[in-house]
Amino acid sequence: MKKLVLDVQGQVAPVCSRSHITYRFPLGERVRKLTIHFAYEPKNMDDKDQAKALIMDSIAKYTEPEHAERVQAKWESFLPLKNLITVSVDDPVSHRGAGHRHDPEQVLVIAEAEASPGFVQGPMPAGLWDVTLSMHAVVTDSCRYTLQIWGEE
Amino acid sequence: MPWIACELHTHTFHSDGRQTLRELAAGAKALGFECIALTDHNTMTGLQDKETIEREAGLAIVSGMEWTTFYGHMVTLGVTTYEDWRPVGPGDIHRGIARVHAGGGIAGMAHPFRIGSPICTGCFWEFDISDWNDIDYIEVWSGTFPSIKTDNARAFRLWTDKLNEGCRIAATSGRDWHSQERTEEPVAVTYLNMDEGAGTVTERAVRALAAGRASLTIGPLVTMEAVCGSGSFVIGDAVPAAELAEGRCTIHVHADFSVRRGLWSFPEQTYTVHVTGNNGVAAEGTVTADRPDCRVEVQAEGLRWLRAELWGTVRGVRALIAVTNAIYFNR
Ligand SMILES: [Zn+2]
Ligand SMILES: [Zn+2]
Repeated sequence: MKKLVLDVQGQVAPVCSRSHITYRFPLGERVRKLTIHFAYEPKNMDDKDQAKALIMDSIAKYTEPEHAERVQAKWESFLPLKNLITVSVDDPVSHRGAGHRHDPEQVLVIAEAEASPGFVQGPMPAGLWDVTLSMHAVVTDSCRYTLQIWGEE
Repeated sequence: MPWIACELHTHTFHSDGRQTLRELAAGAKALGFECIALTDHNTMTGLQDKETIEREAGLAIVSGMEWTTFYGHMVTLGVTTYEDWRPVGPGDIHRGIARVHAGGGIAGMAHPFRIGSPICTGCFWEFDISDWNDIDYIEVWSGTFPSIKTDNARAFRLWTDKLNEGCRIAATSGRDWHSQERTEEPVAVTYLNMDEGAGTVTERAVRALAAGRASLTIGPLVTMEAVCGSGSFVIGDAVPAAELAEGRCTIHVHADFSVRRGLWSFPEQTYTVHVTGNNGVAAEGTVTADRPDCRVEVQAEGLRWLRAELWGTVRGVRALIAVTNAIYFNR
């Protein structure tokens, strides 16, 4: 039987870029499989003017002055700007992997005998587990996420 | 010692790649690679079937991971267990590198000048570096036809600057290969001069790169030998000061046009060889496919390092085609 072990939602802002949020939750003795539902939205920054301003700033900051103008002329090639939040997991003993990918909706499995790509299958120790959300980029004024974790015996 | 054709920067669907390790290995083999490093973002689970796939594809797979942090992407090779990138802040990279080294790995700056966040999150290197000797290598060529791209030219200059400052730092290429899409652009290869000593291919690749026994190319494999005094030295070696008493060395540059035969081609031409060091171009010569050897004399006075560069015309542009890592000179 699937049992909900964590159910949270949150909202992050651009200032949260380059930060982590970790949820620590207890897992019982007999859980053999975790299923993590993680989703965030929006994925893309739809406001083109806002995106243009960010792209222009980014090019000015990261390219050499003699190339900036040429790169800025093709600013639209960098559209759309995207939010990127990735999920990683640690059990009470060791790291259980990460999913560094762009999908804004993910169903991830970690179990004794299987795991989603990026994650580590193996024994499921009881105790406090961590699920970490890493905000690589929050570009939209706000970005909402939901995280639900199910345990199965 | 054999020079092994390597692709040192790749991804699978264990991170954001759109390929399995099996597909990647087969694609690399078809392009003439003998060795790839899997450097998925922040995970090493893609290496699960490594041995099976090595056997099937007939190519070696080096274990690695790309630390995909908020302040830079750092490629690590030779690590066998996950090292955590998450606690590393902008001033902490040396502590992260220490963990990589303790685990038997080496660390390089990936595409250090690619445009950063939010266009490409963490792609531009922003970590403080207080000790450049801690950095094992710089990926000076990222992507296909890398030498003509401005971000890579900037990374190449960074490498040159660090060599001039006395750092013995290696240079690599890496396609940052995410999917099996065909490309018409020349593909870059990092050749590693692997020893035949003990250990796995991963360990030998790490030893080769840590020692700077590497040569980058989009075509012929260029090697260099320095004859100074009574000794002969190869890429990655350091010439002892005692061998420099005569004040000059003979540099022998060889371009092997037979490598990856049929997988690249350039118009027939006379290529320019630059033997470059801390004082700029120390000597110039030429090679062709029929005369692939070039011998030049260089003054040893004040010399701290030399590398060989092969210049020519590719796809209608004058471009750096190949570059060796350095031979160093002890003063
Ligand atoms: Zn990267
Ligand atoms: Zn990469």
